[in-house]
Amino acid sequence: MQRRNLAVLVKLWALGCTILGISLTADAVWTFVLTVTGLAYLAFQRNFRLLCSMGVFYGLLTLLLYLIQYHGLHMVVFSEFYVLMFWNLSAVFIVGFDLITTPPGELAAFLSRIHTPTPVILGLLVMFRFFPTMKAEFKSVGRSMRNRGLTAPAWLLLHPVSSCEYVLVPMLLRCLQIADQLSVSAVARGAEHPGRRGSYYEKRTSIIDWCWLFVWAAVTGLFLWIGDVRV
Amino acid sequence: MIRMENVSFHYIDSEEGVSGISLNVRNGECVVLTGPSGGGKTTIMRLLNGLAPSYYPGALTGRIFLNKTPLPQLPLYAVGQQVGSVFQDPRSQFFSSELAGEVAFACENYGLLKDEIRSRTDYAIDALSLDHLRERNLDVLSSGEKQRTAIASVYALRPNIYICDEPTSNLDYEGAEELAVILRRLKAEGCTLVIAEHRLSWLHGIADRFVYVCDGRIRWERNADEMERLSDKQRKEAGLRVVREGETAGVYKGDVLVLREVNETKSDPPAPCSPAAALRVQNLYCRKKGREIFRNISFTAYTGQITAITGRNGAGKTSLALVLSGLWRESGGQIEIGGKKRRAGQRRRQIWFSSNDTGTQFFTNSVTEELLLHSERSEERLERTRELLNDLGLYAYKDAHPTTLSGGQKQRLSIACGVLSDRKILIFDEPTSGLDGGSMNQIADVLRSEAKAGKTILVITHDQELVRCCCDYEMVVFAGQ
Repeated sequence: MQRRNLAVLVKLWALGCTILGISLTADAVWTFVLTVTGLAYLAFQRNFRLLCSMGVFYGLLTLLLYLIQYHGLHMVVFSEFYVLMFWNLSAVFIVGFDLITTPPGELAAFLSRIHTPTPVILGLLVMFRFFPTMKAEFKSVGRSMRNRGLTAPAWLLLHPVSSCEYVLVPMLLRCLQIADQLSVSAVARGAEHPGRRGSYYEKRTSIIDWCWLFVWAAVTGLFLWIGDVRV
Repeated sequence: MIRMENVSFHYIDSEEGVSGISLNVRNGECVVLTGPSGGGKTTIMRLLNGLAPSYYPGALTGRIFLNKTPLPQLPLYAVGQQVGSVFQDPRSQFFSSELAGEVAFACENYGLLKDEIRSRTDYAIDALSLDHLRERNLDVLSSGEKQRTAIASVYALRPNIYICDEPTSNLDYEGAEELAVILRRLKAEGCTLVIAEHRLSWLHGIADRFVYVCDGRIRWERNADEMERLSDKQRKEAGLRVVREGETAGVYKGDVLVLREVNETKSDPPAPCSPAAALRVQNLYCRKKGREIFRNISFTAYTGQITAITGRNGAGKTSLALVLSGLWRESGGQIEIGGKKRRAGQRRRQIWFSSNDTGTQFFTNSVTEELLLHSERSEERLERTRELLNDLGLYAYKDAHPTTLSGGQKQRLSIACGVLSDRKILIFDEPTSGLDGGSMNQIADVLRSEAKAGKTILVITHDQELVRCCCDYEMVVFAGQ
């Protein structure tokens, strides 16, 4: 099912509200209100993939907290402090991930509308493309190393420095190559054209967007009122 | 119209460049630049789209006119409005993960109004039959679909000149034919096309003129009829690919070339006089991230033979090679090497896989080091390395850093690494994509000689010339089968 993305303005507002709420609250337990709102917000946008993964993540953290609190579970690697911290920050993770998984074109349209300089918009677009591309390259380097027997445990133990070099050198060189190819592609398609950028995704803020702006403001206000503000 | 008058250009940081180029491309004409790799075709393309010297700095002499305006005086964005560029590898050109966003990119840069951007983008998507891909991530498209997306992103801006640099180097036969349909359409709309290309047969009926570029100079020009009359000897001397499909390329083994569908339960290909089944695959099945990539693949590869694995882009050929070589695990079925069932880890030690993407395959500081990586340095081995470097035309680059090599040289180095790996079964993925006829023949010779020495070779390829030139059998992989 196709995603129904809310306006970027709403997403930024939601992020601001969750950060503000979690920073100011005096009662960490009530942060679940923001998290549940965040999950509902994902469901409304039909971002079901993120909803499932964040739902499972939050459920797992809740289970761990319950075991720590009521059954004396002691965490060796991932300490109790981190469990509580991640549980509290879940709402920020949810709206943050939703923001960064917004189609880059919609982010660019928003930035263009608020008169952000074109080089900044292009930089952002490059960044969004660069990471998945480099992830694929990293996989490819790993595969080549396996093919050539350079990932055998004995080899890695005996030649740790060379092994790091084998990963880093091709990665850095590919990094330069990809950056160059992306730049050429942008320049050949008018990236240096002066003036305001247009946008395929440009859209007006709808009544639904205004509703969600209000929901986030109301929920954050209610949350701070119930949980009290830390002074 | 584009006119180059006695143009010379040399890059600031290398000795490469072109000299004394005079070329006149008329409106609505399709000119194909061909010739050996590294001959200067790409540099001419960069001069025509203004990237040289604006983006690639260097010394330019002579004059280039774009519709009577001196091209070097125009800013790049002004050139971009009239001259659309389609590059070799669309993977690293995309700025969006979505089709519409990518196709609209150029129109957005030129600040067109939203409605205009939408109408042009939708028209381009429709014209290039990409509508069904709107909801899909660009990263998962086949090479042909990616190349069509790249062309649509240029088409949306409606330039009247298209500069295409080896647009079919990653495409299968059908992909190239689809591209031919698009270019025919552009030509019929009155667009001017300049195409740098090694594969020539798909350009039949589109190309008006062929320009042969070698050692940085234009050596000759021929119209389409003259090009078709080129004798086999002349074509081979120039290192050119076949001009018309169906033409023989090298030794045509008509009676032993077997077209087999691997999903069908036909009997195995006729075994040679002294058969030794090196690799036997039974009911192989692969599934990744919930998606079935291929199923029911069964075949046998024999010692001393070269088997071509062909099929459309996205059919699962590379995935099959990754599973065979142990770099991916199979989801079902079994793979036997020398009559014994082998797990992925064991297969990795016995089967070599050379990927089509040579950008991440090399790890050392020189070509020689790369070939000797992980092996003892006996005199015999050094001699063998020298021989192979000579056979593949790489001896002059033995001390060069692998990343400084051209695409074709990297492909040949990858093959050399496989040959020297001492593994009995070698799998090469598209070893001749984007290579001129001369380089293709060098590779075919090495493959034949390795097969003769007792290696079992599987070649994933779209290159029918290579198949005709050196392969004993051809297996066709169909999508999802």
